Order: sequence, then C-alpha cells, then structure tokens
Amino acid sequence: MSPTLLDLARQRTVLLDGGLGTELMARGLSLGECPEAWNVLRPGDVAAVHRAYFQAGADAVSTNSFGGSRIKLAGHGLEARAAELNLAAARLARETAPPGTYVAGSMGPTGKFLKPQGAFTEAEFESAFAAQAAALAEGGVDVLIIETQYDLREALCALRGARLTSLPVFVTMTFNAVPRGHFTLMGDSVARCLKELEKAGASAVGANCSLDSERMVGLVAAMRRETSLPLIAQANAGQPVVGEDGRVVYTQSLEDYIRFVPGLIQGGAAIVGGCCGTSPAFIKAMAELIPGSRSET
Amino acid sequence: MNNGGLYAGMSKAIVDGDGVRAGRLAGEALGAGLDPSEVIEMGYVPGLRRVGELWEAGEYFLPELIASAEAMKAAMAVLEPGLRHSGGRAATGGKVVIGTIEGDIHDIGKNLVAAMLQAGGFEVFDLGADVKLGSFIDKAEAVGADFICASALLTTTMANQKRLVALLRERKLRDKYMVIVGGAPASRKWAEEAGADGYAENAVAAVKLAKDMVSRRALGERR
Repeated sequence: MSPTLLDLARQRTVLLDGGLGTELMARGLSLGECPEAWNVLRPGDVAAVHRAYFQAGADAVSTNSFGGSRIKLAGHGLEARAAELNLAAARLARETAPPGTYVAGSMGPTGKFLKPQGAFTEAEFESAFAAQAAALAEGGVDVLIIETQYDLREALCALRGARLTSLPVFVTMTFNAVPRGHFTLMGDSVARCLKELEKAGASAVGANCSLDSERMVGLVAAMRRETSLPLIAQANAGQPVVGEDGRVVYTQSLEDYIRFVPGLIQGGAAIVGGCCGTSPAFIKAMAELIPGSRSET
Repeated sequence: MNNGGLYAGMSKAIVDGDGVRAGRLAGEALGAGLDPSEVIEMGYVPGLRRVGELWEAGEYFLPELIASAEAMKAAMAVLEPGLRHSGGRAATGGKVVIGTIEGDIHDIGKNLVAAMLQAGGFEVFDLGADVKLGSFIDKAEAVGADFICASALLTTTMANQKRLVALLRERKLRDKYMVIVGGAPASRKWAEEAGADGYAENAVAAVKLAKDMVSRRALGERR
C-alpha cells in the first residue's frame, strides 16, 4: 500500500501548492464571480492550475473549494449547489493527480461570525462544514485541509464537521503579529489554537496567509513549542500592492520568499506550501530546496 | 452628583463593552440635566479612545471591539433624542455612506467600521456588500452625505475603489465628498494612488480619521 500524506510527512518535507484564486484570475475569473462555480463552468482551467502545481513538484494540491461551504456560497446565491460544486472540485483535482501525489480538500471560512458577534450558531457552522467535507470525501480527496481560519471556534466547528468523514484533517489558522505575540483576528493565541485543535483530533496544524515567509519563520518557532503534531506553514508572498499599471503585485519577490523557506523547514515545518501571491514558479523553487521532493524524481 | 465619577463610569462601560451599563449611565446623565454632547465627549469618547489604544497594543481583538461599539451604540440611542432636541447632531458627526465595493462580498471589516462610525456619532448609511459604484454616489447624493467609505478585501476588487473616485470625477462630484478607502489590501499609498482623501488601517483609526477630516474641513483646508 502506498504511503499516506502523513506517512510522507514523517519521511521528508511535504510540499503543498500555492495560490489558486490568483491563478484562476490570470485565466479570466472575473471580479465577483464565484471561484467554485468554475469547477463546473470552466473545469479545464481549474485542472490546468492543479496540473501546473503538480508539474512544479507539489506533493498535493488543494481543491478549488475554499469558499465552498453553503454559508459562503450563499453570498453568490449558490448555496443549494454546495454538494455538486465540492464534489466537482474534488474530482477535478483527483483526475489531474499523477501517481504518488495527493489531493487535499480545501475548506475556508464561512465569512460569517458566530454568536454573539454574528448571527450563526456553532451547530449551523458544523453542519455546513460537515456537508462540504462529505462531498469532498465522496469526490476522492486524501485529506481535508481547513484553511485561513481567524476564529478558533469556527475552526473547531469545521474540524468536528470534517471528522465525520474518516479522512485525516489538517487545520491552518491565520495569525497576525501584535506586540505581545501572534493572535488570530478574534484574539486566539498560538498556544490555545494548537492545543485545542490537537485535542479535537487534527492530524496536522499550522498557519497560512497574512505573514510573509520571513515573519512565518518566527511563527513556526512559536508553533513548534506548542504541539507535537506535524506543522504546516504556507506564507504569503508579502503584502499585496497595486503596481503602476493597476495590476496587483505582492511585496515579496520569488527570490526573497525562497530565502526564508529553509528557515521554515529547519524551524520544524513538516508540510510547506504557498498562499496569496505565490505561483507554480514559487512551488518549483521550493521543490528544489526539499531533498527527495518530486522535482528530483 | 460628581460628574467626574459618572464620566469615568461611562468610559469604563465602553472599555468593558457593557451596553446595559453604558445605556443606564446615559439615562442618569440626562436625568441630572447634563448636556448630551458634553456627556458624549467627556464620558464615552475617552472610553472609545482607550479601546483604540488597547486594540493597537494587541490587548483587544475583534470581539472586544464589537462589544465596545455595541455599548457605544446603546449609549447613543439614549442620548441621541436629546442631541436633536438641543438643535444639533453630535459635535463631531457627519453623514457617511459606506459599503463593500462592487465585486466583493466580504463585509466583516466594513460592518465593524460602520458600527464604530455610528458609535462615534456619525449618521451611517450602510449599503451592504457588492455595492455598484453608481449606488455609492446615488445614495450620497440622496442623503447629502459628507463621506463615501468603500471597503475591499480582495486585491482584485480594490481597483474598483479607484474606479469609484474616477466615476465621482466623471460626474463632477469629486469635491463634494470625502472618500475613505479601507480593507485588508488597501494602504495609505493605495489611497493616494486611487485618488481617495483618506485611508484607515482599522475601524478605530477610521473613526479618528473621519473626525479629523471633519474638523479640517470645518477649518476650510480640504485634503
């Protein structure tokens, strides 16, 4: 039997993919359009992005389902199609995956708040995430990855929903650096997040988004002290700025981004990848830094 | 009654995010015949300022900020009729049309800014998310707004903030409104490039910025 993604993470550094949304934009996804709708409207373009990441040396790609919970899809009036769009997302990635690679079912935030800040109950979040996870599992993903979470309570709802499948579940939180450490938007500390996620059954935990690769090195060190689970680190390529021609660029160049990747790995990240502003070129450069990666095979 | 003690209590109610206490103290102040605008300035605004400091210091996060904004709203609900009665709106206030820009459905940050502006004494017209550029302007014209505030969470939608300013120019209305942009990808530099009048890093900063802009405009030195 071939090793699981977690087995692989025990043998060598695992490489995930980079930004997906920005790559779809480059292929014509327009403003305000629902990215998940492309799983059925433009499947060829979604598959092309997955393929580019696999060719760059990624061990796993994330499905095009980040905004695929029915609560998030409701913003596009597509809540009734949640199951269909997530199933399509999983199948698309599965079909493009070469032998020996993996597919991670992406689950992003609902974009809404739980009570008392918002209108939703934990049961409502959990049920929406459970439905999304079930569709991704049916489509054949190897693991579920709950990403970019800024509220530990929501992440735990997603984790409970995801664990109703029998798949391993990865969770990445997004932390901001404040004077006394790293915290989520809702004020959850690194220690609290990682402990509670581990207790609730996450198979791997970590951070993505917000921070650039240099600042992610410090966060990895802080996370390493708080958990024995495999650590995930997916940094942004710096901050977005609008260039002279009106196009959005990120402040960290490929060269500058890559400079800190060895620091992430030495600091204890077992699973690395990119986030906003990263492209297949970034993943290719990261693959070259990972001994035994697919770029060497 | 010792007003100093009352004012300190009001400030603390805001810092604690206790809407019940904030509202009750506002009622007591009115009962004692205090001037509502003075009560806001001396009692509640210092609390909001403290909340802003705690946020900047990384002591307070979104839940605390929302609770404080709600407490401020509770106090304003009690004080506002008195303000109207005395013939004016809040000393620092103005009318704000706010929304998340066309193409962008993210409204968390925008909602928070709207709540804080309202708490800070502004009359807020919240158009929601994915607001057409023309709708911002139509609403501002209809209500006689002072500010148009546009939020964008995506790097891909922030370009519409620039288009909003361009549309105002096209309609020869640019100088009529103060335009503030915000959202995760926005920055001071971007605000300049987009031709906006101001940029705020967070909801607390947005209130301060809007108040500064109102007083600067009152002094006749626009932008």
